[in-house]
Amino acid sequence: MKRRAFLFKTFAATIASGALFSMGKWNTVVAQGQNQENELPFDMVAIKNGDPSTMFDTAIAALGGMKKFVKPGQTVLVKPNIGWDATPERAANTNPELVGRIVKHCFDAGAKSVMVFDNSCDEWTRCYKNSGIEAAVKQAGGQIVTGKDETQYREVEISNGNVLKKTKVHKLMIESDVIINVPVLKNHGGAKMSLSMKNLMGVVWDREFYHKNDLQQCIADFVTYRKPDLNVIDGFRVMKRNGPRGVSVADVVEMKYQILSKDIVAADTAATKIFGIDTKEVGHILLAEKLGLGTTNLDSLNIKRITL
Amino acid sequence: MKGQRWLKLVRIIISLFFLAGFLLVFSDVRAKLPSTFSTILTYFQFWPSIQKYSSIPGILAIGFVFVIIFTLIAGRVYCSTICPLGILQDAMIFIQKITYGKRSKYRYKKPLNFIRYSILGFLTISLLFAGIFAINLLDPFANFGRIASTIYQPIFIIGNNFVSKILMHFGFYSLQPLPIKEFNALPFFFALCIFLTLISMVIYRGRLYCNTICPVGAFLGLVSKVSFLKIRISKNQCSQCGKCQTVCKANCINVKTRIIDESRCIACFNCINSCENSSIVYVKALSRKDKPVLMQDINKRNFLKSGAIYVTSFPLIAHIVKLGDGNITTIRNHDSENPQNSPGDFRTRGPISPPGSKGIDNLKANCIGCQLCISVCPTKVLQPSFLEYGFTGMMLPRMNNDTGFCNYECTKCGEVCPSGAIIPLTKDIKKITQIGTVVFERDHCVVFKSEKSCGSCSEHCPTQAVHMISYKGFLTIPETNPEICIGCGACEHVCPVTDPHAAIFIIPHKVHKLAKLPANEKKVDSNANQEFPF
Repeated sequence: MKRRAFLFKTFAATIASGALFSMGKWNTVVAQGQNQENELPFDMVAIKNGDPSTMFDTAIAALGGMKKFVKPGQTVLVKPNIGWDATPERAANTNPELVGRIVKHCFDAGAKSVMVFDNSCDEWTRCYKNSGIEAAVKQAGGQIVTGKDETQYREVEISNGNVLKKTKVHKLMIESDVIINVPVLKNHGGAKMSLSMKNLMGVVWDREFYHKNDLQQCIADFVTYRKPDLNVIDGFRVMKRNGPRGVSVADVVEMKYQILSKDIVAADTAATKIFGIDTKEVGHILLAEKLGLGTTNLDSLNIKRITL
Repeated sequence: MKGQRWLKLVRIIISLFFLAGFLLVFSDVRAKLPSTFSTILTYFQFWPSIQKYSSIPGILAIGFVFVIIFTLIAGRVYCSTICPLGILQDAMIFIQKITYGKRSKYRYKKPLNFIRYSILGFLTISLLFAGIFAINLLDPFANFGRIASTIYQPIFIIGNNFVSKILMHFGFYSLQPLPIKEFNALPFFFALCIFLTLISMVIYRGRLYCNTICPVGAFLGLVSKVSFLKIRISKNQCSQCGKCQTVCKANCINVKTRIIDESRCIACFNCINSCENSSIVYVKALSRKDKPVLMQDINKRNFLKSGAIYVTSFPLIAHIVKLGDGNITTIRNHDSENPQNSPGDFRTRGPISPPGSKGIDNLKANCIGCQLCISVCPTKVLQPSFLEYGFTGMMLPRMNNDTGFCNYECTKCGEVCPSGAIIPLTKDIKKITQIGTVVFERDHCVVFKSEKSCGSCSEHCPTQAVHMISYKGFLTIPETNPEICIGCGACEHVCPVTDPHAAIFIIPHKVHKLAKLPANEKKVDSNANQEFPF
């Protein structure tokens, strides 16, 4: 009797788990169906001549609204640049008004939680505070998370990486349902430009590895781990020289641009053109194109240009 | 006279304010508290205040004068309400009491005056030979600081991070984990020794440390002999029941003779509350009423005079001695250091002193080694020295570019320094205070060796004293401009090269200089109003 009961139970369990498994697959199919529904009207939206909030409101509306990216109940990571202990006027960090606005849009779209962090270069609490980002995020209802707690980082394989094969990544980058990458457009002494891809260095624990082993290739390699769902490049104030930290406001010019794109390579390419530098000079953009992460050929894309 | 029971309550309230305040200050790992808070708390600390007066004389550094005035008026109230090490011992006594049900019963003991005044005398004489080093080792505030910094603060951080981790596990990120500070064996074991000594002395005889070892206690004991207000036993009412001596932490009440040794009395007022006959009173000692005849009263006037001279001359002596000590250390350091022809050598570069300390000699002459600056340094660049400053410069703050780099906008260490060893700098002055200058060894640089992009150093450089210039193809390589370098150590800290050492590093100045301001570059042109370039 016992054996029969055991066999029966095993059989039942197998069927049940199989059913669950296929249901899981079926869920994915449904999700893919939704993705098709979510097809974006444009590959890129470039907007200029407005304040950060208005430009984002207009641009995201042109892309079909934040609900295209964030579904009700999802967890969102918004990843700005909060690398430096500098005020917003210095443009070393992402514009706080823009970050706050994005957090608000995420909640309006039904996000369960919106987290914001960066693995800062200067002492992080000073960066969060003086950049104005902490206040803006809290006001919009989002949560500020430290990037300086190593126990929050998990080692991951970068299977498509050429040089960067594995690295420790913040668990929010691994676990969040949606990633919104919000770099600030600026000059960079080592990497030439600091844009969407460079900004993702801030979710990695060991940056020294990058600097030791071909910075440009590592920056491109990491994007193969997980592409952000949306890149928003903040070109409101642009640091034209002495980047990425800058010395004074004399390095900064108000350009009032914003670029939104799912294609990280295209977004960065567009940003180099706005900045006025040959894209070829920025090594990691070309390397990323080689890795199939996007295109530098902006003519092949359906771009919506808006001047406010 | 029943009305004097409030004295003990006031003593407890003030002492709790100081103890809680200091624990708060030493919990301030990221320097979030306003500096004025710790300035108020440290203002009345006796030895730091004397140091501060001889470093930056002025109204902000005369706390020690007030302490002497307090003592002349009211006896050693400093020891029972302001001194954090004294309050710490009271806390130990309190814990002992609640752990064992009742506090240990004290009895009258003879003073260990020989040890006590030998230490005071020796420390005064040692000023001539070792500067303030020997005093720093026994000073109560410095010792409290070392205990708070190396024993209390790590426990606080670990506790905070434990709670924070639990909250994070459940998705709450409001309580942020604190950075674990570096472990430094010397100050830790020194503080541990003092801490264990305190515990055993407290168990053995209450405030024995304060009345035998502590130089401030010994000095204020002398001053309190001539204080205006004293605790006295009224002969008429006293039944010699001896209750008062069982609560006297200083073991200074002799019930047989009804005499209180005011040089040891720390004015805790426990005895007043213990006396059922209300025969212990806090009264004007100069009035003849209720006063037993004592030897020292006869010579009071003479003592007052000589005491006043001693007190006022103290900072002066310290100042004169310091000048001499500066010369001695200069000569000594000169011997041990390499000649000036190799200023760029990483291995023999010597310690880097923090901005505001003016240089190594000034730091050594004024710093009492309380670790307060190290405890609040938000970037962990400040670490206690071992033998880098020499034997008499142990446990002083030094810039360690391995553990961090000096935040360009931060002026915290100078703001909290109780002894004026690190003077408070305004942001503008701090940003041009040059504690050392950058040296770049191109042969070791990643860009030169592997021909790949890096630029980590320039990235972090706040003045662009390290900037990137064109190299091969699109590559850029660092170039330095030491004139505008302030020596913050960011480049050295982040340089990915470790073998044999960073490819870019700071060579310290023995005496700090002023850096040139970064060249006022013209505002960049705007090309904002163009059409979309794509």
